[in-house]
Amino acid sequence: MIYIAHQKIFYSFTFLLTNLYYIPKMDSQKVDMFLMTNAKYFQAKHLNYIRERLQVADDSKWPLLQSADLKDPTTSLIISIFAGSLGIDRFIIGDTGLGVGKLLTCGGLGIWAIVDWFLISDATKAKNMEKLQMFL
Amino acid sequence: MTRNRLYLFLFLGLIAGYSYVLWESYVRIFNHPFTPCIFKNTTGIACPSCGVTRSVLLLMHGGLTSAILMNPLGLVVAAIMTITPLWLLYDVSFKKNTLYNSYKKTEKVLKTPWIAILFFILIAANWAWNIHKGL
Repeated sequence: MIYIAHQKIFYSFTFLLTNLYYIPKMDSQKVDMFLMTNAKYFQAKHLNYIRERLQVADDSKWPLLQSADLKDPTTSLIISIFAGSLGIDRFIIGDTGLGVGKLLTCGGLGIWAIVDWFLISDATKAKNMEKLQMFL
Repeated sequence: MTRNRLYLFLFLGLIAGYSYVLWESYVRIFNHPFTPCIFKNTTGIACPSCGVTRSVLLLMHGGLTSAILMNPLGLVVAAIMTITPLWLLYDVSFKKNTLYNSYKKTEKVLKTPWIAILFFILIAANWAWNIHKGL
């Protein structure tokens, strides 16, 4: 009886030791899955960087990555076309300052609103990258 | 957005804003009905910031009450257009980033839920008033 208890303590101790100093890395399958499902949220030039950073990141980051509030570039483009002159597209992606600017100036006298139809999806992707950068 | 990008953007925006106000103050003499607002041109009803230029012009001629009655947002825009150039000049000449820091801080404050809700209620109320006035 005593012997078994001793062995249990020994095993749990070794388990603790091996796990204390071992930080599990995110396996490449998970990284690939993340990139496959989320590629459209980021600029193509950043994808390689994201892959490299995720492969060396530890596994505890995974739930955080899943909970990152990424915005869809297509949605923001649609919003920009219909409500761009009120600055709502900029508010949605988190550019509050620019949103207020756009709202107060009737979408930058209409010119900024039109320019933003072409810039908004890239701006959304850049904002997503900023959000992801916090976890990398 | 980085500091330099914001400052360049503000600089260009201020130039555009001032030249538009100047041009408008010249054109108003002939009572020329022109609006660059996409929203108003497509839907026919005023947008939340319709009347801001007229409000700024009224303020330039000293009519504070009439400016507020035209569109209270005009005061905000006028304040931004007078303070920002000086602040920008100060930051650029002394190589500081006080304007950038306060921009970031304002953004953060505006993202606080209750302030954001209050802000949107005020904007919506002003919009309703604009439509009612038929700007």
